[in-house]
Amino acid sequence: MHLAPVDYLILIVYFAFVLGIGWMLRKRMSSSSDFLMAGRSVPVWITSLAFIAANLGAQELIGMSASGAKYGIMTAHFYWIGAIPAILFMGIFMMPFYYGSKARSVPEYLKMRYDEKTRTYNAVSFAVMTIFSSGISMYALGLLLHLALGWDFNTSVLASAAIVMAYTFLGGLTSAIYNEVLQFLLIVAGFSPLAILAVAKAGGWQGMASRLKPVMTHAWAYAGSTQSNPMGVEVFGIVAGLGFVLSFGYWCTNFLVVQRAMAADSMSAARRTPLIGAFPKMLLPFIVIVPGIAAVALAAKAGSGYSLPMAADGGPDYNQVITTLMAKFYPAGLLGVGLTGLMASFMSGMAGNVTAFNQVWTYDIYQSHIRKNAPDRHYLNVGRVTTIVGVLLSIGAAYVAQHYNNIMDLLQLVFGFVNAPLFATFLLGMFWKRSTGHGAFSGLVTGTTVASLTWCLTVAEGKGGILGNLHTFPSAMAQSWWIALLAFTGCFLVTLVVSLATQPKPEKELEGLVYGLTKLPDTSGEVWYQRPWPLAIAVCAILVVLNFWFF
Amino acid sequence: MMDLRLPSGLFFTLLGLILVGMGVFAPETRAALTDANVNLYSGLPMLVFGAFLLIMAKRAGGKA
Repeated sequence: MHLAPVDYLILIVYFAFVLGIGWMLRKRMSSSSDFLMAGRSVPVWITSLAFIAANLGAQELIGMSASGAKYGIMTAHFYWIGAIPAILFMGIFMMPFYYGSKARSVPEYLKMRYDEKTRTYNAVSFAVMTIFSSGISMYALGLLLHLALGWDFNTSVLASAAIVMAYTFLGGLTSAIYNEVLQFLLIVAGFSPLAILAVAKAGGWQGMASRLKPVMTHAWAYAGSTQSNPMGVEVFGIVAGLGFVLSFGYWCTNFLVVQRAMAADSMSAARRTPLIGAFPKMLLPFIVIVPGIAAVALAAKAGSGYSLPMAADGGPDYNQVITTLMAKFYPAGLLGVGLTGLMASFMSGMAGNVTAFNQVWTYDIYQSHIRKNAPDRHYLNVGRVTTIVGVLLSIGAAYVAQHYNNIMDLLQLVFGFVNAPLFATFLLGMFWKRSTGHGAFSGLVTGTTVASLTWCLTVAEGKGGILGNLHTFPSAMAQSWWIALLAFTGCFLVTLVVSLATQPKPEKELEGLVYGLTKLPDTSGEVWYQRPWPLAIAVCAILVVLNFWFF
Repeated sequence: MMDLRLPSGLFFTLLGLILVGMGVFAPETRAALTDANVNLYSGLPMLVFGAFLLIMAKRAGGKA
């Protein structure tokens, strides 16, 4: 891929704007809550797009197009059966407790609902997880830029990290959120032409379907058994493992996304944030997954002029699908926009992780364990310093990822499963007033242990099985979904049993935290399109259409 | 509070102008597999979107 001066110009304009937004917001940062929580004053259309963008990191973008090329439209399950139902549940049922409890973070909610040890367990595992996912994303981007443009890995990683550090340092969460919106729009602008051009060249959807194996263009028709699709999964695994446990665990309890909704300016806006975000989220597969499928169809078309990128071992390197498509389809000018979109996705993902890490570290670890009762000015400064530390740690994690790929696999698995058992903890905490702190803590520990043990005792694609092999999964994806299911079940059962054997909190302390003891927000006075239920029903209707369309 | 529509409107207007400029003044710029003036066709919607955001921001600013 070769860049023209105009492409660099576009890249520079983009950098100037993200830094400019941070610069313009710097004066508003007068308290720790301004810096870490955006002062809870961000308009709803902005929080909604940031909610989606913070999750749309480089790893997600590269990974989804790669999966599209590898597995076909079944990849869309991550959106249509995974993310969307979980997002709706979070907006309708969970947001009243998050926002209404006045907790500043997800771990702090756990402290109010359960106890200090549950909060700390969650805060620490979350902090480590964000640093590593930010580092892995950075590594993915550096590698891709190196392969596509020959840019030096160190320079591109350090330069883009420095820019993220600058604008989050200046304007805190507000700056991160505002830039995420710009980044989201840019990702759409930079990637949708690629989807259109690649699909058109491949002969449209029908033309693609005629050249591909039928499993590539059907989301459900080949999900009957694990043998009939390359993902190695079946309906139960998709619905229960991915759809229920993994997605609900991520979207409902991961502070990275919840933080954006909590920055909204009112309870009603906080509930609408995920619901409005669901509309663009539902359509993302068309620009992140479909180009991957089109790439395979193009490669299968004789004389198309496109062939799949190859890895060193001779197999296709699906991670490079998106950049090789851009090189073939984008002329100088639009190529700059596409590349900038890629950089933007990386930055939104990294800034999301850093700001979430920042708040959890400052409020849930530093303020509650290291220095209590300091003046607010002190925590504002801690927040600023943590921004720098967070970025430096992410850079460190990127180099760990570069040198020890296997360690990263393990970490990704272990920390990925912090979320799965956590959803059981929240489900019981929010909807069953009898659940206790001891129950929640032992449940979480059990869930994480079950996840690690399952990974050590089963094998998929040559990974896992350190302690023996009780079962071989048809794919790593199937393995991770089943690990999540088992971790969730373990956590749920242990929390249940231990809670019944221990003393519950008095009901008075649980007001505002648990269903049945909380006055739910009255939405009957609002216009219909601002009420949660009509929005959710509209999303569901489109979701059903999409699933049938690509059945 | 800063109105985000202003900087993003400005950004997309600029982006649109650059691409449309490319499309008009260097209409023969092509990638290996494209046969249309992609810069022009993708720049126009960006320009319109940018202008739309700017107008929205201006109207809201006028009210306040």
